Amino acid sequence: MSRFSDFLKSAVGGAKAAPARPKADFSNVQAGSSQAPIEKEEEVYAVVAGDNLSKIANRLYGNANQWKRIFEANRDQIKDPDLIQPGWKLRIPRP
Amino acid sequence: MTRSIRWLVLGLVFSLVACGQETTPPPAATAPGAPPPVSAPTPFGIGSIQLGSQIGADKRVLAAAESFAPSDTIYASIATQGEAQRVVLAARWSYEDGQTVAESSETVASAGPTVVEFHVAKPDGLPAGRYRVDVTANGAPAGTREFEVR
Repeated sequence: MSRFSDFLKSAVGGAKAAPARPKADFSNVQAGSSQAPIEKEEEVYAVVAGDNLSKIANRLYGNANQWKRIFEANRDQIKDPDLIQPGWKLRIPRP
Repeated sequence: MTRSIRWLVLGLVFSLVACGQETTPPPAATAPGAPPPVSAPTPFGIGSIQLGSQIGADKRVLAAAESFAPSDTIYASIATQGEAQRVVLAARWSYEDGQTVAESSETVASAGPTVVEFHVAKPDGLPAGRYRVDVTANGAPAGTREFEVR
């Protein structure tokens, strides 16, 4: 009996525990956050009565000759560059 | 003869009743070149978490990393897409022993894609070891990344 209890003592208490690692200190951690909108690659322009691609290009790019950029960006919608309709929403690539 | 007159009268009555009924209007004519239908707004979504020690003005990390020096500021950058009425993104930074290092949150209310960054630093250096950052969106898990400080 005493031999058994000695065995238990040696098994439980005999093995020396590894020295406890000091707890990491995070008391002065600095944390924060912020956000920013993602810049769009293009803007949307709603065609109004009297518009044509050259006029829009002149207004938005300052150069009427840039109408082709708008035309190319909207080939799915514009079949004839001389014919755009009020209410259409055109993609305007960034300058 | 009388039978044919009866049929004639009956036909006349039917045609009168039919003329009296309102006819359903024809569908509105679509003007040539009418604008295409406006697509529904993109639902809110969250991309992957990028870790790094530096971010740009657009809040994206300049170089992705998973291992940092104790003196580094560690950034977790998350791109969101779609329209957000009010989504609270929160980051919980924790150490390998389960200790919470820091927590912060950012409310996103945007009509378009946004990049949100969370950062953590310690003036006297972050203890070496394994860390993780758990990101939630309105309390629901949105992503986790692990990294090391050495």
